[in-house]
Amino acid sequence: MSENYVAPNQQRYLRACMVCSIVMTQARFREEGCPNCEEFLHLQGSPDQIESCTSAVFEGLIALADPSKSWIAKYNRLDGYVRGTYANKVLGQLPDEIRTMLEEEYRIQYIPRDGSATEAD
Amino acid sequence: MADNHYGGDSESEDDNFNPAPADLSDDEQDANDSSPRVSRKTDHRSSSPVADEDHDQDDDDDERPAGRATKRPRTAADDEDDEDEGGEDEEEEEEDDEEGGGRRGGDDDEDDEEEDEDDEDDVQHSHRRKRRKAAGVTNWFDIEAEVDDEDEDEGDERDGEEIEDFIDNAHPDDIADSGGMNDDRRHRDLDRRRELEASLDAEKQAEILRERYGKRAPTRGYSDMAVVPKRLLLPSVDDPGIWAVRCKEGKEREVVFSIIRRVEERLGTKNELPITAAFERAGPNSVMKGYVYIEARRQNDILLSLDGILNIYPRTKMDLVPIKDMPDLLRVIKTPSLTPGAWVRMKRPAKHAGDLAQVLDVTENGLEARVRFIPRLDYGVREDGNGPDGKRKRPGIPGPRPPQRLFSESEARKKNPRHLQGNPQTNSWTFMGDEFENGFQVRDIKIQLLDIKDVNPTLEEVTRFAGGSEDGTENLDLKALAASLKDSSSNVAYVPGDVIEVYEGEQRGVVGKAVDVRGDIVTLRVTEGNLSGQTIEVPNKGLRKLFKLGDHVKVIGGSRFRDEVGMVVKISQDRVTLLTDQTNSEVTVFSKDLRAASDIGGQGSLGQYSLLDLVQLDATTVGCIVKVDRESVGVLDQNGDVRQVMPSQITNKLPKRKAAVAADRSGSEIRLDDVVREYGGQQRQGKILHIHRSFIFLHTNTTNENAGVFVTRAGNVNTIAAKGGRVTGGPDLTAMNPAMKRNPAENNRMAAPKSFGPDRAINQTVTIRRGGYKGLLGIVKDTTDTHARVELHTKSKIITVPKADLAFKDKVTGKPIDIYSRGGRGGGGFGGSGRGGFGGGSGRGDWSGGRTPMASGAGGRTPAWGGAPSSSRTPAWSSNASGARTPAWQDGSRTANPYDGNRTAYGGATAYGGSGGRTPAWNSGSKTPAHDGFGHGSKTPAYGGGGGGGDTWGSKTPAYGGGLSAPTPAASGGADWGYTPGASGNAYDAPTPGAGLSAPTPGAFSAPTPGAYAAPTPAPISAPTPGVWAGGWGDSAPTPAATAPTPGASGSGYYGAPTPAPFPAETPAGGGYEDDD
Repeated sequence: MSENYVAPNQQRYLRACMVCSIVMTQARFREEGCPNCEEFLHLQGSPDQIESCTSAVFEGLIALADPSKSWIAKYNRLDGYVRGTYANKVLGQLPDEIRTMLEEEYRIQYIPRDGSATEAD
Repeated sequence: MADNHYGGDSESEDDNFNPAPADLSDDEQDANDSSPRVSRKTDHRSSSPVADEDHDQDDDDDERPAGRATKRPRTAADDEDDEDEGGEDEEEEEEDDEEGGGRRGGDDDEDDEEEDEDDEDDVQHSHRRKRRKAAGVTNWFDIEAEVDDEDEDEGDERDGEEIEDFIDNAHPDDIADSGGMNDDRRHRDLDRRRELEASLDAEKQAEILRERYGKRAPTRGYSDMAVVPKRLLLPSVDDPGIWAVRCKEGKEREVVFSIIRRVEERLGTKNELPITAAFERAGPNSVMKGYVYIEARRQNDILLSLDGILNIYPRTKMDLVPIKDMPDLLRVIKTPSLTPGAWVRMKRPAKHAGDLAQVLDVTENGLEARVRFIPRLDYGVREDGNGPDGKRKRPGIPGPRPPQRLFSESEARKKNPRHLQGNPQTNSWTFMGDEFENGFQVRDIKIQLLDIKDVNPTLEEVTRFAGGSEDGTENLDLKALAASLKDSSSNVAYVPGDVIEVYEGEQRGVVGKAVDVRGDIVTLRVTEGNLSGQTIEVPNKGLRKLFKLGDHVKVIGGSRFRDEVGMVVKISQDRVTLLTDQTNSEVTVFSKDLRAASDIGGQGSLGQYSLLDLVQLDATTVGCIVKVDRESVGVLDQNGDVRQVMPSQITNKLPKRKAAVAADRSGSEIRLDDVVREYGGQQRQGKILHIHRSFIFLHTNTTNENAGVFVTRAGNVNTIAAKGGRVTGGPDLTAMNPAMKRNPAENNRMAAPKSFGPDRAINQTVTIRRGGYKGLLGIVKDTTDTHARVELHTKSKIITVPKADLAFKDKVTGKPIDIYSRGGRGGGGFGGSGRGGFGGGSGRGDWSGGRTPMASGAGGRTPAWGGAPSSSRTPAWSSNASGARTPAWQDGSRTANPYDGNRTAYGGATAYGGSGGRTPAWNSGSKTPAHDGFGHGSKTPAYGGGGGGGDTWGSKTPAYGGGLSAPTPAASGGADWGYTPGASGNAYDAPTPGAGLSAPTPGAFSAPTPGAYAAPTPAPISAPTPGVWAGGWGDSAPTPAATAPTPGASGSGYYGAPTPAPFPAETPAGGGYEDDD
């Protein structure tokens, strides 16, 4: 049941999605894709896409038990996502074409999770 | 919702619309349902294909459920109706239709939007009308709009609105162009289209469906995200609280995973975890190590939830985070991003750990960088080393790593040609799997493996990169360098007194002088501008040192110009160019590496070699150092050539031979520091620095060349002035006369009689008569023929003073004495008399004989003397004894002993003075260490009777250790005695005591002591003794007593010599004594 648990020896393979910051192992990204962003990131079964849209460099780890009630989730804009583990900060930026696609086709304003958006607020 | 439309218009959807007035709905019904009307419309529009399209859709509309179509357009129709009833009918219809079409292609959302728009129409229809009129042939957009409409399930308001506009726009055209079109053709078109659409429809709809489906939820989420800025997300009291819970450092992440596991395991069960979230932020440099933060409603929830999870300790430490601090917990600070050209340090591979690298390129996601760095290649040399001993190099442990060197193709080709591939044109190579460009190794490295902050590249390192460019010019990118350096303000040290400029932040432009530096905060006293005179505190991040043109500065670090000193000639931002004093060359450094210089010339030494030193370069060459650089020295060799050598090339340094002598042109002797002038040639004049064989190195102040040093032959100079006014009239024949040399003392004055043994001056108290230490008192610790090392009384320091500057003093009385003369006397006669005196002492033994019991005690003690006590005392003793002069002096220093004797006698005396019975006690007391004496004392009835009793003794004994005075009084008991102690105390400190002592002594002494002895000797002796005593003895206090006997008994033999019979006579103490008397 505890699908989001990652054993310590597997933690070196953890990656964080650059869009929603969910943290999963690379293998799981490959098998299942990103549970929040799969429809536009299409990570499932695509190592290249995983490579470019997720980052192995992230800081902080948030175990989100109840995304709807948690202020932490709200503040990190994780409300509305699935339960799971998320990163506080994800280094790296989405490739430009994916960014453009997100914003133009999906009308999603991409907010980078590497801290560069902080100044904006 | 999405289904609604496709499933047909639901009632609910219809409800969304503004209820249309009933009367108009009839009209609408007509419009949609009556085919003639449609056809009429098509006629009108015949000229425009767009109109066709519209028409098609109209038809589609016709097929649509009537209810919806009829109700929809009402409002718009109303509007239009108001303005132009008849002519605009069609327009109304079309708009209605269009809206219907839009709805068909669009989704429920759009329905809503249209509704909105309808409302809008009410408000701004006049405006729209204008636009309509102004619009040209934008019909083409109709199609696109239609398509868009269908494709874009989402269709924002804007889209919908535009579509509407387009269609509105089309109306006038329709009206204008209507007429010329063939009905049939349009009908056929319509049919075709219908067929086409029918076939497409299923697919399209499916696609639309899918798109809409998938996208809806997240899109909603994201658009929410985009709208709400973070500052509106701040926590409120309604949000759950966050508790910081202590956990094992390093296990934070595991704990968080354990929590999520537990959350998921208990999910749906009745003991579901009540916490909402947990997080950690324990990065490598984080301050949040050792904590996991849990979000929950109640603290108890956390205790409940975390119970039994490893490595977290909710029960030991749990703090509620204040609401205002909560956003800070989650604050994310952007990591400075790498830009090409920036400098970094590599952490791995181990071979290059710490090496500087330059970023060439950064991958798009910013997680990898292509860097270039100087390779450390051994070209496979060590590869072979692994084979023979059969051991494979373990990869984890790097051996000694090869030095950094640019890649050399030829070397690679020579050593390992098989592994070399590449292109000489571009100078890019692949060797053993590594890439090299222009000599640099190039590699993609993950950003985690690079140190980005606090890189602090030194100019040397950077220059190696700069020098590597193909054209050989220095293309140093100072900007990138400055950026790299600026990050690392940590190592900039400001010290009070630095003039500092604030170049960043609110107080930019402020100039002041640092008055205090504490951590990162520099306190400035502003010297310019409005704030002048105020003291402000600024973080050192935005600061730089400020210099003015002409300032004399020193480079203090961070570059290869360290320790250069020079004058500022140019300032550009924080780069300062200075003209160095030593080399007159311009160097550019960062202002943070500079400091105002008080000294000039920079460093004068490199390792053990300093400026003007004479060094041996090889077996036949010597040179004088005329320039010291950071890594090399300039040496003027004996041939007059200046060469730059590394310290390692210098064989050794030749010590300055002060005695070196050479002969000048006229044969006069010249020595160091003489001033000579060249004969002929340039007639340079200089002071002799070094003489090496026939070469002399001279220094002149008239030129700066080679630091003013030049070399010439000794035979080529004339003496101008000899140092110290030495007569240089001609060669010193005596010095040249071997005969005289062989027997130098021949014509000298009689040599002073040789004194053997240690210098008598040793251990004497002296005052210094001359020099910086003039007037200070000290003790001679060691001597040479000419000098003495004197330990000062004032401070514990040993200085060397010429013996001639010493005045010997008596230790006790402070009177000047002449130790040597006395010493001379010392030998024989002295011994005799001394012994005689001692005989007296032994007489004392007799005297103690009266005391007999004690005497035995004394006898017993005597050996002790020879043994332990003597040993302790011995040094003084023996030295004294052995030296001829010692004796005399001895009395002084040794006085202790005699003193003891005396003192014993004293005691005796005291005893005498007080009570005979006590004497023995005294003896015992003095001889025996404290407790023994004690015992004795206690045993001595007399003592007890006479003095303070056992107690007194006791007190005395310890007092002994402390100071002499204490005991005495006790012993004395009498007023006189009391006096004595004081005296002895004084004696202790200063030799003076004569006075004090004398008082008691005489009386006491005279009484017990045999005539001769008593009178002269004891008193004086005793006088000095205390002093000595105190110094040397400490505990041994008792010993003196022993001493006393010793001299008498055993003393006669070896003691005799020293014994002071003469001493008393000679000793000033005697005088003192008399005076005191």
